[in-house]
Amino acid sequence: MDITEYIKLVFTDYTLRTITLGTAILGAVTGMLGSFAVLRKQSLLGDAISHAALPGIAIAFLITGAKDTNTLLIGALISGLIGTFWIRGIVTKTHLKSDTALGLILSLFFGFGMLLLTFIQKQPNANQAGLDKYLFGQAATLVESDVWLMAIVTGICLIVMLTFWKEFKILLFDADYTKTLGFNTKFIDILITSFIVLAIVLGLQTVGVVLMSAMLLAPAAAARQWTNSLSIMVFLAAIFGAFSGVFGTAISASQNNLSTGPVIVLVAAVFVAFSFIFSPSRGLLFKQIRFIKNRRDLELHKTLAFMHHIAETHEDISHPHTIKLLNNFQGYTKSTLQKLVEKDYVKLNGNMWSLTKTGFETAENLYTKQTTEDE
Amino acid sequence: MSSAQIEIQLIASIVAVACAIPGTFLVLRKMAMISDAISHSILPGIVVGFFITQDLNSPLLILLAALTGIITVVLVEYIQKTGLVKEDTAIGLVFPALFSIGVILIAKNANDVHLDVDAVLLGELAFAPFDRLLTGGTDVGPKSLWVVGSILIVTVTLLILFFKELKVSTFDKGLAASLGFSPAIIHYGLMSISSVTTVGAFDAVGAILVVALMIAPAAAAYLLTTDLKKMLALAIIFGIFSAVFGYWVAHWLDASIAGSITTVLGLVFLLVYLFAPSKGIIAVMYRERQQQTEVSLLTFLLHLKNHDELEERHVNHLNEHINWQKVRAKTVLDLAQKNNMITIEKNIVSLTKKGNEFTSKAINYIMTNEDTQIEDMKDDFFLFRG
Repeated sequence: MDITEYIKLVFTDYTLRTITLGTAILGAVTGMLGSFAVLRKQSLLGDAISHAALPGIAIAFLITGAKDTNTLLIGALISGLIGTFWIRGIVTKTHLKSDTALGLILSLFFGFGMLLLTFIQKQPNANQAGLDKYLFGQAATLVESDVWLMAIVTGICLIVMLTFWKEFKILLFDADYTKTLGFNTKFIDILITSFIVLAIVLGLQTVGVVLMSAMLLAPAAAARQWTNSLSIMVFLAAIFGAFSGVFGTAISASQNNLSTGPVIVLVAAVFVAFSFIFSPSRGLLFKQIRFIKNRRDLELHKTLAFMHHIAETHEDISHPHTIKLLNNFQGYTKSTLQKLVEKDYVKLNGNMWSLTKTGFETAENLYTKQTTEDE
Repeated sequence: MSSAQIEIQLIASIVAVACAIPGTFLVLRKMAMISDAISHSILPGIVVGFFITQDLNSPLLILLAALTGIITVVLVEYIQKTGLVKEDTAIGLVFPALFSIGVILIAKNANDVHLDVDAVLLGELAFAPFDRLLTGGTDVGPKSLWVVGSILIVTVTLLILFFKELKVSTFDKGLAASLGFSPAIIHYGLMSISSVTTVGAFDAVGAILVVALMIAPAAAAYLLTTDLKKMLALAIIFGIFSAVFGYWVAHWLDASIAGSITTVLGLVFLLVYLFAPSKGIIAVMYRERQQQTEVSLLTFLLHLKNHDELEERHVNHLNEHINWQKVRAKTVLDLAQKNNMITIEKNIVSLTKKGNEFTSKAINYIMTNEDTQIEDMKDDFFLFRG
């Protein structure tokens, strides 16, 4: 199947269109809210909440006895929120650290959820089959109404985010200052956290409990590498998230036996790896290039300083010396010498070199600068 | 009790102990989430190991999977070192990616692998006794009992041998390094043990329960004591209790054993979290209230000391001036009177000699920035606390 054919199929095939749209919207909203989670150092909150949502799904099913997506999601939302606030309670009221609190809530809620799920499985209720799809997610089960729900929630998120943009931003970077300005920090905090929980719960059906945390983190972590501005980061994260969804769906649709959730996560991971390596200002590649460049500059300076040291002993600074003199000096290579010539610091004449006037002055300044720094 | 039941409880208890020991150190080193990451990211290791060995209990598979666990730790640390993202983000990026690879590997080979993601994540203890280990034709017990048993023996041996090193490096990395213990070796040693324990236990109890068994008993124990040995002992006791009690809950509800052990662990932690003598939530809230009242009392006494004028010390004026709620004002006044620090005559409040002395000392401490001393001083002056 080639690409044009696939694109045609996306527009004509109901299932494929629904899934593509659903995962794209999901990726966008989780990327958007994930930016806040990452910057607030709550990266693993997503992992904890997605696990903590499981007992809510089971209890909602036990109470209503029906497998209606919306009621299950409300159950998940409530138990996710309880988990979140319990984590906060543990961190603020006891001396247990946040990692312990996250791990505790994650594993305890999930275990309890498993207990309930296995309990439900023994019940004589034919409806129960398929509850475990929330564990690993099944994008294939998305229907149009689910996509509408996602779109509506995304819209609400967007409106709230734009309305409270200033408050979100200031709370993110200077919580104490926000408080002194008279904002209700607790309210803003709860608002952001609730929306993060909401986004996670929405994604459970598509990518499942285990992989939801990556959906929240990966687009945001990738976007962070390209910019230092919050608005651009949120925008980029939404785009990365949406593209992970679209590409992930495309790849998994093109092969048999490839579940959508893990593929989306891997695509997002590729985005992250690419950003880590190729981002111009923070990326590893350019960092390495800058590092090498700095080292070359340093060697150049060292050579120049060494030459200056020799030239100082003569009255005529441009007195020629043999290149062999430089051979027992570490910073010296043929190319550094060539560079010094290009910069017009040094003149070459056969096997002899001599400092020019500019070269001598630069070296002298270099020297005095170093000594003052040493003192 | 049938022998299968005894064996299940025995396996669960051994797993609980084997998890509680590294778990205690993970909690103390603020690395609890690493156990979660390892428990997920061993999946590709298990899958690849299973392709090679076709046996979930083979030592090679355990080694391969443990290696994946260590690769996770190394990757997390590498990403962290680049400074591009924070530590927790690094954890959150690495393990879902590895887990995804595992899930895809299983899905692509679904037809020729008897391995299920559910089984890895959730485990099924109920089947553990049926997979027997046979040596020379005789039945020597369930395979997983041998696996987790040997892991426990290794863990305990290492714990006893390196207890001092672990202790020092956990609480004071600098001191440990200067004493000549390599923090890196201890760190990776602990990580390896955690990986091996996770892998050894996942077959019996599932990856999520391993996380619960590592973190919950240790966290509960940490709320009860600050002594490392006591903490280890308490964590082990909590672990065994939950394992045995959880089994019977599962038996009664006819539900997943791993799930109910985790639920019991959750209840144990909840109880400790609420009722721990000095660090439980009730004790903390009570103490916060007490301190709030006592600070109010001190503010009130300072006000009295600063003002000799009668109208400043009139009850009505004080009501307006300090602007406290009625109940709170009454609590503070009662406390002051009970402790003989003030007297009230004709609605005029005045400090007693004892109240005066207390306030002067408190001012001294506040002026010299030794506010903490006030807490100690309170023991000398207060007959009744707030």
